[in-house]
Amino acid sequence: MADRGQYLFAVARGLDPQQLGDVSGLRDAAIQVLEHRGLQAVTCSVDLAEFGEEALRRNLESLPWLEGVARAHDDVVQATALVATTAPMRLVTICSDEASVRARLDEWYDGLATALDRVEGCHEWSVKTFAAPAPDSGDDAAPKDASGAAYLARKRARASDQRAAADAAAQVADVVHQELGRRARAVRRLAPQDPRLTEFPGTMILNGAYLVDDGSRDTFRSVAEDLARRYPDAGIDIRGPWPPYSFATLD
Amino acid sequence: MSESPNTGVTSRPYSAPMAQSDRPHPTNLADLLERVLDKGIVIAGDIRVNLLDIELLTIKIRLLVVSVDKAKEMGIDWWRNDPMLSTTAQGLVEENRQLRERLDELEEGSGDSSEEGSSG
Repeated sequence: MADRGQYLFAVARGLDPQQLGDVSGLRDAAIQVLEHRGLQAVTCSVDLAEFGEEALRRNLESLPWLEGVARAHDDVVQATALVATTAPMRLVTICSDEASVRARLDEWYDGLATALDRVEGCHEWSVKTFAAPAPDSGDDAAPKDASGAAYLARKRARASDQRAAADAAAQVADVVHQELGRRARAVRRLAPQDPRLTEFPGTMILNGAYLVDDGSRDTFRSVAEDLARRYPDAGIDIRGPWPPYSFATLD
Repeated sequence: MSESPNTGVTSRPYSAPMAQSDRPHPTNLADLLERVLDKGIVIAGDIRVNLLDIELLTIKIRLLVVSVDKAKEMGIDWWRNDPMLSTTAQGLVEENRQLRERLDELEEGSGDSSEEGSSG
C-alpha cells in the first residue's frame, strides 16, 4: 500500500511552472506541475499518514489543522492564478500518483476546459453589506414592577424598528448587488456568514461574489467604493482580486 | 437612488467603508473555508473523503456559511456548550427564558386590571 499520495491544488491553462516562483506545497513538499493535453495540474506529494482517508477523518475535525491546510492550499492557488488561468480544486483532492492525476484530467477534460474558459482573464471580488446592530435602548433594564402592557408596547415598538431597519438594509443590499452585477461577467450571492464566527461584527446581509474581467477591475472597484460612500451605514466591505473559486466549477 | 429612512437607529457601527482591494486572497477564515470546501472543482480523488461525514464540517464549519436561525431550524444548537460561543448564545437563551416567564406572569394576572408586579 502506497504511503504517499498526490495532492491536487488547481488545474491551470497556459501555466509556465517557472513562473510559480518559490511557493511550496504542503509540509514544504515541492510543487509538481503535471502537463496533460494543454492543461497543467498543480500538485505536490503528501504523506498518507496525514492525508490518507482515516487520517483526514481525524484531522478535518481539528479547526487549527484545517485552517493551516486551507491557507497553504490557497497560497498555491493564488500563486497559480497570478500567472495563469486557474480552476482551483476543492480542498483535499488527492490521487494515488501522477498517472492517476493525468487520468482525472483526461476524464474531466471537457468540464475543466469549460470552467477555465468561463474564468479566463477574470478574478473574483467579494463585496459584503451589513445591517447596523439593533440599538441598545436599555429596555431590558425596565423595573420588574412596571406595567406589563407598557413592557409589551416597548417590545413591539422595538420589534417594529428592527423590522424597518432590516428592510432598509435588504434594499441597500439589492441595490449594491445589482449595480456591481452590471460590471461583472458573472455573479453569485453566497449565504451570509454568522457574525460570531467571522471578523465582521454586524449582521451580514449581502455576501456577493463577482467575476470581474481584469480590464474592468478599476471600474468595478471604483463603483464599489462609490457605493460604500453612498451607504456608509451598510459597512460595505470590498475584497479582491481573488482566484475565481466561486465561478470555476464543473457544471 | 434611495436613502435609508431614519428608523431611530442611533448607533453607527461603521464610520468608514472598508475597501481592501489588492489583498490577493481571502484572509477572513469564513471566506476562505467556504471557498476551499464548498466551491471550486469537485472531483473525487483516490483518497475518499465525504466532507459531509465530518462532524466538524457538517456543523461547525457549515455554520460559517449558514445563519444561526437556519441552524436552529435544523435542530442544531451545539454552541450552547461551546466555549468559543457560549457567552453570546447563552445570553439569547436566557433572554428567551425571561420573556417566556414574563408572558406567563402576565397571562396569570390577566383576569384583573392590577398593575402590580409578580413575584420573583
